[in-house]
Amino acid sequence: MKLLDRAGWIEDPFVRDGADANLLPIEAAREALGRVRPLGIEVPPTADPDSLVGLFNQVDLIAVRFPGHRDGRGFSIGRALRELGFTGRLRASGELIPDHFAFALACGFDEVEIDEARAARQPVEQWLAAAGVIGPTYQSVRDGRRSIFAARRAA
Amino acid sequence: MATAKPPARPAILSANALLGGEVVYFGAAGWTVRLDEALVAADADVLARLEAVLADPGTERDVVDPAFVAVTLDDAGRIVPDHYRERIRALGPTVRADLGPQAEGKHRHVSL
Amino acid sequence: MYRYDEFDEAIVRDRIAQFRAQVARRLDGSLSEEEFVLIRQMNGLYLQLHTYMLRVAIPYGTLNSRQARQLALIAERYDRGYGHLTTRQNIQFNWPRLADVPDILELLADVEMHCIQTSGNCIRNVTADHLAGVAADEIEDPRPTAELIRQWSTLHPEFSFLPRKFKIAVSGAVHDRTVLAIHDVGVQIVFDEERGGIGYRISVGGGMGRTPMLGKVIRDFLPKEELLSYLEAILRAYNLAGRRDNKHKARIKILVHEIGLEAFRERVERIFARLDRTSIDVDAAERARIAAYFAPPPFADLPAESAALEEARRRDPALDAFVRTNLIRHRQPGYAALTVSTKPIGGVPGDVTAEQLRVLADLAEAYSFDELRIAHSQNVVLPHVRLDDVPAVWARLVEAGLATANAGLVTDIIACPGMDYCKLATARSIPIAQAISERFADPARAAEIGPIGIKISGCINACGHHHVGNIGILGLERQGIENYQITIGGDATELAALGERLGPGVDAEAVPDVIERIVAIYLAERAPGETFADTVRRIGIEPFRPALAAPKEAVREAA
Repeated sequence: MKLLDRAGWIEDPFVRDGADANLLPIEAAREALGRVRPLGIEVPPTADPDSLVGLFNQVDLIAVRFPGHRDGRGFSIGRALRELGFTGRLRASGELIPDHFAFALACGFDEVEIDEARAARQPVEQWLAAAGVIGPTYQSVRDGRRSIFAARRAA
Repeated sequence: MATAKPPARPAILSANALLGGEVVYFGAAGWTVRLDEALVAADADVLARLEAVLADPGTERDVVDPAFVAVTLDDAGRIVPDHYRERIRALGPTVRADLGPQAEGKHRHVSL
Repeated sequence: MYRYDEFDEAIVRDRIAQFRAQVARRLDGSLSEEEFVLIRQMNGLYLQLHTYMLRVAIPYGTLNSRQARQLALIAERYDRGYGHLTTRQNIQFNWPRLADVPDILELLADVEMHCIQTSGNCIRNVTADHLAGVAADEIEDPRPTAELIRQWSTLHPEFSFLPRKFKIAVSGAVHDRTVLAIHDVGVQIVFDEERGGIGYRISVGGGMGRTPMLGKVIRDFLPKEELLSYLEAILRAYNLAGRRDNKHKARIKILVHEIGLEAFRERVERIFARLDRTSIDVDAAERARIAAYFAPPPFADLPAESAALEEARRRDPALDAFVRTNLIRHRQPGYAALTVSTKPIGGVPGDVTAEQLRVLADLAEAYSFDELRIAHSQNVVLPHVRLDDVPAVWARLVEAGLATANAGLVTDIIACPGMDYCKLATARSIPIAQAISERFADPARAAEIGPIGIKISGCINACGHHHVGNIGILGLERQGIENYQITIGGDATELAALGERLGPGVDAEAVPDVIERIVAIYLAERAPGETFADTVRRIGIEPFRPALAAPKEAVREAA
């Protein structure tokens, strides 16, 4: 798997397998609370964001699964997690294409994780270009940019 | 890429051209707008060739939604699509004789 | 009408740059066709039977002359000289090339138009009353609300990959001219003195298709300022829980049906209560800024009646007929709205040529404060015409083949493009419309029958809205042949109702006969002053079942 953020490819300090695994499904993560740090939890697109609130302080990463390029549930989950106060790393993982990147960043994701084949087919330049091709948008977002409505208010 | 069932009867391969969108058929020299040039999968060799086109990832560089179309050969040996949808695709909108292949006099032997 | 500021303009231009890059990535293979399909759909580009189809957004059906002329130019330069008006107030071009689409988008952007989200699993064009600012029963012009929703929903990062399409309509009047009840979300403007004045009644879960359903009220009264947050809550509840396993069960109507309105409302209210509304909702200043664009035009102070028009009507029976059917009373004395029918006898419903678009542009500019409306009936409306000017406008319409005096009558048929164009269709719809139209061509007969809505869909997706037609016709396939099911009892007004099947389907050739027999039964049964819809409501559909059978069989049944 490869990991990228708004600046490009990054190293992944999280591992899913082996003795040092620190990116775990929810149940296993609950058992690892307090023992493992940094700790990441992997959540499916069916996850209820409210149910994760109690873990926020003990978890450094939440990785939300995107099972298909048409499946936008993760955007709602990510945005809800941020609204509920999660301040750790938020990762979108799975079947994403560069055209999802700007939306993911706007919903509060810090990074996107894709498999090697996908990364080869859609190189990082396409991701970075896609992230920036649309300027200010109407919705309030979490990628540091001001929404159009906010800009109008300020004017 | 299309996953297509192998045809149960004589069939041709049809798609829409990626850039222009027009209806095309797979012929001996590749994709063509002429129905009469379409390769008919009436034997195993041609069938295999058409299936290979479907399976080839490069096919989607040229066309969109390739799929088998069941056909019948008329008395004069001309290809006639079986289903009325495919006959409309071969002719153009039935309510606008001035649009589609029919406007250029193509595929006259096909009627709805 | 709304004018883009630099932000609105930038979004539309950026989207074009994005689309160009997406096309390039499709051509070089880095985007697969499967990935590209949704992306091109999100910019209104379909692959249809014969070639691509590009659907241009006409927000809440409002257009000015400059835009209409540009559509004419695009039709001529990049298409086959015509466009098709849809049941969602949009226009479609049937023959664009993929390579030309970015250039078409630039021409559209030059006149503040776009194709953003006219397809795809996202929030679609927001539709509204085509008589906004015209009708006397208006509570508040729905278009500022519709424009606000349009902006909020454009390229929404959370809601661009929904389980399925999402359609919102806004009605601002007592009578519903938007078919609110068949929308995923219906926004009805209401006035409630005790609750603070203007607010919204929100309905959810309407839809056509395989399992048609009428929307249900989820919120009786929503304060104006909370609209966007509440919509966000609905969309989030849907995005998270809408089915993604089956395309035909993926709309919000299925979710509401499966978990029940109460449970759905609870979810929405729970999400709504926790949202940071100040970051979502707009303030009064922004609402006022948008509303200012929809202020009434500078109407002249005119008498309620026009002697000149009355005189002209006396002299010309054809003009008189047109006024009787196609003139709509205006709230402003001395003015009227005119329905421009796109359903000439035997014509293709909803099609307009480039030349006709130019005539409409000229008429709008000269006679209607530069405004045109597209109705969900696929007709065009000139909303603000002086009664004095009606004869001159009508004469131009006659020249352009746009003066058919059949608004709301039996030949004013709504039909989707059907299998003549559409890849999803199971049967053709346009030839059926044409045959019925020709059968009822006699204007005297149409006048005698009175208002009646025939709606035809070429497949179960119901883009022709057949479920809410007074007479609905659904084209299917049976044993390799086109077969048409007839429904009766649908209603697309505030008395929304879904039609019921009369019986087994019939062949294409039989359809006009069946319609004739239905009409004959209505004429025999109607009480004075009853429209077709009124009679069906009173007597039910049983008396109409014999219409399916040929005359001698019907007589045998009655005996």
